[in-house]
Formats: sequence, C-alpha cells, structure tokens
Amino acid sequence: MTELLLARRRAAVFLVLVLLTLVLLSSQTRTADRRDAGLIGRAILTVLWPVQAGMVRMADGAAQTWQRFTEIGRLRVENARLRAEVEALNREVAQLREASAAVERLERLLALRAQVSYRSVAARVVGRDPARWYSTMVVDRGGRDGVRPGAPVVTPEGVVGRVIEVTPFASRVLLIADSRSAVGVLVQSTRDAAVVEGRNTAALHLKYLSRAAEIRRGDLLVTSGWGGVFPRGLVVGRITTVEREEGALLQEAEVEPAARLDRLEELLILLPRQ
Amino acid sequence: MSRPLIYGGLLIAAGLVQEAWLARVEISGAILDPLLPIAVAVGILRGAESGAVVGLAGGLLQDLLSGGPLGVNGFTKLVVGFASGLFERSIYIENPLLPAVATFAGTLLSEILLFVIGQVTGLGLEGASTVLTRGLVQAVLNSAVAPFLFRGIRKIEVRLEQSR
Repeated sequence: MTELLLARRRAAVFLVLVLLTLVLLSSQTRTADRRDAGLIGRAILTVLWPVQAGMVRMADGAAQTWQRFTEIGRLRVENARLRAEVEALNREVAQLREASAAVERLERLLALRAQVSYRSVAARVVGRDPARWYSTMVVDRGGRDGVRPGAPVVTPEGVVGRVIEVTPFASRVLLIADSRSAVGVLVQSTRDAAVVEGRNTAALHLKYLSRAAEIRRGDLLVTSGWGGVFPRGLVVGRITTVEREEGALLQEAEVEPAARLDRLEELLILLPRQ
Repeated sequence: MSRPLIYGGLLIAAGLVQEAWLARVEISGAILDPLLPIAVAVGILRGAESGAVVGLAGGLLQDLLSGGPLGVNGFTKLVVGFASGLFERSIYIENPLLPAVATFAGTLLSEILLFVIGQVTGLGLEGASTVLTRGLVQAVLNSAVAPFLFRGIRKIEVRLEQSR
C-alpha cells in the first residue's frame, strides 16, 4: 500500500513538474525573443554573470597562453623551413654565380680564339700538381683533339705555359712559373729582348736583358716568337721590380705573370698550323 | 550544510564551468554536459523525485546561462533525472559501469527529447542524422565523466547521512 502511495506521489510530482516546465517553455516560445528570464532569472544572472565573466577571462588567458605556446612551435618549424629554403637559395645563387663566371671566362676565351691566327682548342683544367702548385696541370684535351707536345697554352689574360705530355684524352701543361720553363720575350715599350724563367714561385724572373734597356716597373712583356714555341705578341706579364747590379752587363727583373696561374679553369691550347 | 544548498552550489559550479570553459571544446557539435550525469547520479542514488528536481534545476540554470528559452534543457533533464530514478531499486549501484551506461542512455534520451522539442517549437532546424551523430558523441563525452561525478555525489550523500 505504501509502495503504491509512493508511486502515485512520485508520478504526481513528475507530472506537476513536467506541466510547469511545459507551461514555462510554451510561454517562452510565445515571446518575441523566445526568451524571458523573468525577475528571478535576472536576479540569478546578476549574481552569476560576474563569476562567469571571471571564468571566461581565465579561460581566455589560458587559451592565449596555449596559443602562444603552439605559436612558438609553429614558428620554430617555419624558421627551420625558411632556413632550409635560404640555404637552398644560397646554393642556387652560388651555382648561378659559378655558371655566370664560367660563361664570362668562356666568352673571353672565344674572343681570344678569334684574335689569334692559330687553330686552337679550348680545354678545362682537370688536375693540378699538388706538390708544386705552380708547376704543372692536367687539362681535358689530348691527342684526339689535335694537341701535340710543345703546344702553347694561353688564356685571355696571357701566356700560361706549354704542353709537355699528351695522352689521347688529356695533356699535361708545364706552366711558365715552373723552373724548367723559359720564354723568349720583348719589353713591349722598348722592344728589348730577354728571357722569362719560372722559379716555382708566384713571380717570374726576367733575365738576359741588356743593361742599356730602360725598363720600368709596370712595363709589359710579350712573347718574342723566337723560341719557336709561342707565337709572337702574347702577353707574358708585367715588370714589378728591376734589379741592376753594379758592374753587371745585364739587368734582371721580377715579373708578375699576366695569367692568374693559381686560378686557372678554362684555357686555350694553340695548335700547329696545318 | 543542507542538501539543497550543496546541490545548488554543485549545479551552479557545473553550469558555470560548462558555459565558461567546456563550451570552448566542441567535438562534432557536442559539448560535455556535466549537469546531465549529475541528474542521472542523483536519480539513481536518491530516487526519481530527487532526480527530477535536480535535473529540472540544472536544466533551467543551463537555459538561463545559455541564453535560450527557459525550459528546453529544464524539461529534458527533468525527464532524464526522473527516468534514472525509476530504476533506483532494481539496479545494482555498485556496478562500476552503471554511471557510464546510465548516463549514455540518459544522454540519448535527452537528445531525442531536445530534437522533439526543437521540431515542435520550431527552434531546432537540424536534421535527424546531425542530431544522431551529435547525440552519440555527446553520450560518449558525458559517459566519460559520469563515474567521477557519480563517485563525488555518492560521497556527498554519505557525508550528509553521517551528519544527520
């Protein structure tokens, strides 16, 4: 009996509450804004809103902190990506500069080729003598390209040396800075004859020049063409220091080679006339 | 401390937390609703009448804070709280899965009621599939926190009984 009463009471409470809620809900939906909090509702909100606002501010702060935290991670990733991009672009720029410099050198080589009356073949330096920097180097042209021992080797700047060894696909060039090298030259301004020798150093040495010759620092030396190796008129270098000894019949001088022997990359091998 | 005061404070705290913090974390349109597991827990532990009252109070508070028409959540939570209490004596409340399972079922019931109210009043314009998807996600979310809330409310009840 008690159970039955309890069940009835429970059902009655539920029905009353449902009824009240539905009345409230239907009254709400009939208003213009479909909401009317009423006096009690507004009073509750007056108390709760400041608390809610404080909690929202706390959440905003936490969200901003989290956003900053994730932003740092994102920026790190982006920074790494940009660094990689900069490195790639730097590599590309270096390659383009290299290509541009090569084109420039080859253009000058072509211009020289057009100037000289010899047949010629362009060659690329593929090896240097590591023990003696200024002595010999290997180029990628050989007998198959018409290269013969003794062939003069030049760049647009000046004389480089001569071929001393030939294989079908490569040749060895003896530089004018090598101590085994000697080139007959003329002082361009005075037309005095002399010989330029190598000394395995960066500078060349001018010998056998008459004491009467009036040479000065900066005078240009060109090949005399008398030795039978180099054609006449190729630039060899410039006088940097004149050495006159008391009582000596001849004078000597230090010469700076016109060709940058330590930075050769492409050069021209002059071939014998057919 | 009296029971209405404690439950009133609990509902206000849960309502504020939901509106200020949990509303920011939305998963497939669903937001964790701690008021529903509270109504379910009270219904299971204290019976249908208490479940209905707590559900109604929590729902009305939610309506008040959310800016919607008063009575939408009030009605659904009233029904869910009452329905939970109907099984008060027929279920084994020590079962660890009980809070989660009851909350899952209660959330689905709540979503169905919300859908019906929405259709009747013209407030809900979503399709049934959207409501179903959101309802399932909502049920999972609510079920995940239900065991903790259930344990908390049980402790409150034990304390209140001891203080008598």
